[in-house]
Amino acid sequence: MTAPAPKRLLWLLAPVAAFAATLALLTAVQGGGGAAPSLSSVDADIDAARVQGASIAELQETLRDDPSNVAAYTALGASYLQRARETSDPAYYSRAEQAFDAARRLSPTDADAVIGLGTLALARHDFSRGLELGLEAEPLAPESPRPLAVLADAQIELGRYADAARTLDRMVALKPNLTSYARISYFRELHGDLTGAAKAMALAVSAGSGSLENVAYVQTLLGNLELQRGHVAAARAAYRQALAGLPTYLPADAGLARIDASAGRTAAAIERYRGVVARRPLPEYAIALAEAELAGGRDRAARSDLGLVRAEAQLLRAAGVNVDVEISLFEADHGDPAEAIRLGERALAAAPSVRSEDALGWALTRSGDPAAGLEHARRALRLGSADPSFLYHAGVAARESGHDALGRMWLERALEHRVALSPYHAQRAEEALR
Amino acid sequence: MRKLSIGAALVAAAIAVPLSIGSSHREAPNIALDPTADNTDTYAFTAKDAPGSLTVVANWIPGEVPANGPNFFRFDDRARYYIHIDNDGDGREDVSYRFVFNSRVNPDSYLQAFPGVSSIDDPKLYQAQTYDIIRETHKANGKEKEKRIANNLPAAPSYAGPKTFPNYGNVAVGAIRNLKSGGKVFAGQRDDPFFVDLGAIFDAANLRAGTGNQGEGKDDLSGMSTHSIVLQVPESKVTKNHRAVSGPDADNAVVGVWSTTERKKIEVTNADFDSNKKSKGKWVQVSRLGNPLVNEVVIPAGKKDKFNRTRPHNDAANYGQYVVEPELAKILNALYDIHAPETDRTDIVQALLQGLPGLNQQTDDPLPVDTLKLNLGVPPAETENRFGVIGGDNAGFPNGRRLGDDVVDIELQVVAGILKGNAVPLGDGVDQNDKPFFDVFPYLPGPDSGFDSDPSSRTEPPHDPVPAGGGS
Repeated sequence: MTAPAPKRLLWLLAPVAAFAATLALLTAVQGGGGAAPSLSSVDADIDAARVQGASIAELQETLRDDPSNVAAYTALGASYLQRARETSDPAYYSRAEQAFDAARRLSPTDADAVIGLGTLALARHDFSRGLELGLEAEPLAPESPRPLAVLADAQIELGRYADAARTLDRMVALKPNLTSYARISYFRELHGDLTGAAKAMALAVSAGSGSLENVAYVQTLLGNLELQRGHVAAARAAYRQALAGLPTYLPADAGLARIDASAGRTAAAIERYRGVVARRPLPEYAIALAEAELAGGRDRAARSDLGLVRAEAQLLRAAGVNVDVEISLFEADHGDPAEAIRLGERALAAAPSVRSEDALGWALTRSGDPAAGLEHARRALRLGSADPSFLYHAGVAARESGHDALGRMWLERALEHRVALSPYHAQRAEEALR
Repeated sequence: MRKLSIGAALVAAAIAVPLSIGSSHREAPNIALDPTADNTDTYAFTAKDAPGSLTVVANWIPGEVPANGPNFFRFDDRARYYIHIDNDGDGREDVSYRFVFNSRVNPDSYLQAFPGVSSIDDPKLYQAQTYDIIRETHKANGKEKEKRIANNLPAAPSYAGPKTFPNYGNVAVGAIRNLKSGGKVFAGQRDDPFFVDLGAIFDAANLRAGTGNQGEGKDDLSGMSTHSIVLQVPESKVTKNHRAVSGPDADNAVVGVWSTTERKKIEVTNADFDSNKKSKGKWVQVSRLGNPLVNEVVIPAGKKDKFNRTRPHNDAANYGQYVVEPELAKILNALYDIHAPETDRTDIVQALLQGLPGLNQQTDDPLPVDTLKLNLGVPPAETENRFGVIGGDNAGFPNGRRLGDDVVDIELQVVAGILKGNAVPLGDGVDQNDKPFFDVFPYLPGPDSGFDSDPSSRTEPPHDPVPAGGGS
């Protein structure tokens, strides 16, 4: 197990910690000579056992009684991250940060605290900070795959793909399971190996997890990969499996909406997307909804939904989340190309990944500089990605900068994967081919 | 409230690392509790109804709560499940049984089954698992050969409830299969035979009353299920001279048993990266279990992953120090002042890792390895004592491990020093499983149904401390 194993005697010993603490206190109060023995490593084990499976309220209570319980702070931080995901309320990020910071103040070398902060940095898209913390965590938890997960995610988003490959290789050698399989799948996907990516993701699904949400997550990603491969029935089955396990899992709902949209069932897609946005008004869902509406000729509704995007982006920024790449693409497609360039440049400077290259390239192309856009688009495709959105952006840049054959090839490839494009962009890719 | 929060699912919910909000950037979970690859318990014994055979029960997936539809618990089709036997005491497997599973899912339904499943091969069972068994024989330098000894055997499905399975017992019995090469096998969901009071063991009330071993504990695993493989093979299939065991003093009498799980290490890319070529397509051990509670009691938190990756023949080098000076002894002394020896605990090394002299040592100079060492020549006890060897019953733990052996109490008392004459009635107050075991194969009772989402619970009646008169 990667976490301290929730197996047998740890639980059984859990209450001992309280008694050990009481005993130490009694000894001190009574001025007794017999000091409690040094049990620090055992205490840490027991603290970890006590907090496993506890709710946020239980952890807060534990911390009121025992404000030096490092494991309770790190578990509390992780619980807040989980709540952030369940509620989409990014305010939980700062609570998570406070909990992890408190743990680190108490125990600067606590691996869980550093890993938690690293994970938080990644969730906020501060990939440089994620890398620092991943590197810091590694010697604190040697022979554990968990710091390597933080490290690999940061390396991928910073464009350090060769480093990421080595990290992932070490991680999967230590622990082949859902966490390492899912990351390898993404790495393969980035390199255009959709078949290999789907195979790795199927391994992740089969391995499963104790968390329904983790399972739904990998099932949904498998659905997305199947969609990119044009296997619509397999994609639908994967999304439905995710929803069978966790009926409220919105990313899978959004996947079904994508299938509806690409099949021309625009009204059904809009209805489904609307349900998703109503529960979780994230920029990516609001954009998908608006683009379905635009494709269906409902321009007024689309304008109103696009208006949501900037407001949501502000909320996320206020919680410390960097949304530069997402909003750069949004501004390039539906807003202000100059702002798109500004955000794209900032994103690329912070994280020189293929995603950032794609965003800046598209911003330049949309603002009338397709030659500069093409430069970045080439770099976005340098790993061999089959992402239809990258290919569409590259194709338009090439066509508009006079590289007709190249542009045609990219656009045709983008349209081979058209079910994974929103119909709005698929229509534009077709127009660009004419 | 019952401490169901120990369930792995809820634990994972608390520590699973979330995705980021509102982004196409990808963050897979960081910590995945890995229940399908989590060995929870291993048992090895001579069953009363099967003298002349080794019986092994190996369990996976902790804390299965009954109502878990529609994603019912199952073995992972892409993992390898192992039962290992070391018959010469070198801590390396000589005979291994590998179990590989294959799920069949009805693509037109998300139901586990159509109501009224009456047998294991009823087509109304939409989600079914079958498995193959491969028997490996090893030499010290690696694999020698392997043979598929069973194909497409049915695994017992998870018990959704009485509407789906009007007679679940009948369906499960259909999953008991004879092996052509001798013996029997069962795989599928069962009641978790482990029993323990997680919360109340060192509760203040117990502390006032003494050190615990006098009943009144609540079995926190009652009503919980697990996934079991039960394997029964003739002694000649596992002993070092391929013969049956003539008696407890026979040279081939003691075997070491443990179970593991492996998953495949895959390449990061299909193209060649500068990854370690030697590890290409390699299977990686992600979990193991020999003696109960070793990973919990003996191995420090930071080493648990390593413990699950490493093999018994390296145990002395890797973990010997933690056994010789167990922290648990210090805790028990701090709490109860019971004078448990804190250093030089060769008695624990013997009990758990080397075998007890004259009973279950594999050689004259036994290597400390974390395997269950069972002397197959010791006949099963007519009446079992839950304390096993320390209760005067040599057919029980740590001579192998029977389903009813109270390993929590035994290990607490061993750590307190009962093998060095320091008898203390330590215990968690739970003495037996919530459901009785069967006298016949597969011995484990059936799981609670998913329909009864509030699992049963059981509290031990009070009794006098055991052993009487010991301790503080």
